[in-house]
Amino acid sequence: MRVSVLYFARSAELAGLRCETLSVPRQITALQLWEEKVRLHPRLAVIRDQVVFAVRQEYVLLGDQVLVLQPGDEVAIIPPISGG
Amino acid sequence: MDESEDVPKDFIKLKSEKLSVDEVSELVISPYCGAVSLFIGTTRNNFEGKKVIHLEYEAYTSMAETEIKKICRDVRQKWPSVKHIAVHHRLGVVPITEASVIIAVSSPHRTESLEAVMYCINTLKASVPIWKKTSQELGEGLS
Repeated sequence: MRVSVLYFARSAELAGLRCETLSVPRQITALQLWEEKVRLHPRLAVIRDQVVFAVRQEYVLLGDQVLVLQPGDEVAIIPPISGG
Repeated sequence: MDESEDVPKDFIKLKSEKLSVDEVSELVISPYCGAVSLFIGTTRNNFEGKKVIHLEYEAYTSMAETEIKKICRDVRQKWPSVKHIAVHHRLGVVPITEASVIIAVSSPHRTESLEAVMYCINTLKASVPIWKKTSQELGEGLS
């Protein structure tokens, strides 16, 4: 099943891209999804402790929470925000 | 204007053009409000001891707008007398002293709009997916 992955700020610099599609199982934990991304883009590993995900535009911590994904869902990597 | 016609509105915009304080404050003006409170965030010339040349902002735009809408909803729950709310954030390059964000809130009396503006900027900084990148001079402190 394919989802869209979006990279922002430092994560985009480290991965070298802003978006890609990824094939994932329908049920996957946030941590497993992160590890899959690091497998594809090893330089992401350095920001592991600073990022959260946004799944369908809701923040999700990188933990054991099982994400129930739908085809075409957006999963964004969110480094520490600094707007305003 | 009948007060029932002056429906409370949220004005949310992320844009790359220069922000206008006049434009944002005019959005929230209401004949039923005696107070318009404003916050303007501008770019400083220093960050962590180094001179900053400019800031550059990027956003997860769709989620940023959704999160700002949530902030507006929370403001109306906490301060029900608030009338209009405007949040404009600039994206892309913002030169020193120019505004990166302008927030305006109107209410009948001053306390609510003053408190609501502070809540808006504090919550925006904590929850809205926008990032800034500083372009700094290397190896030079402030002179």
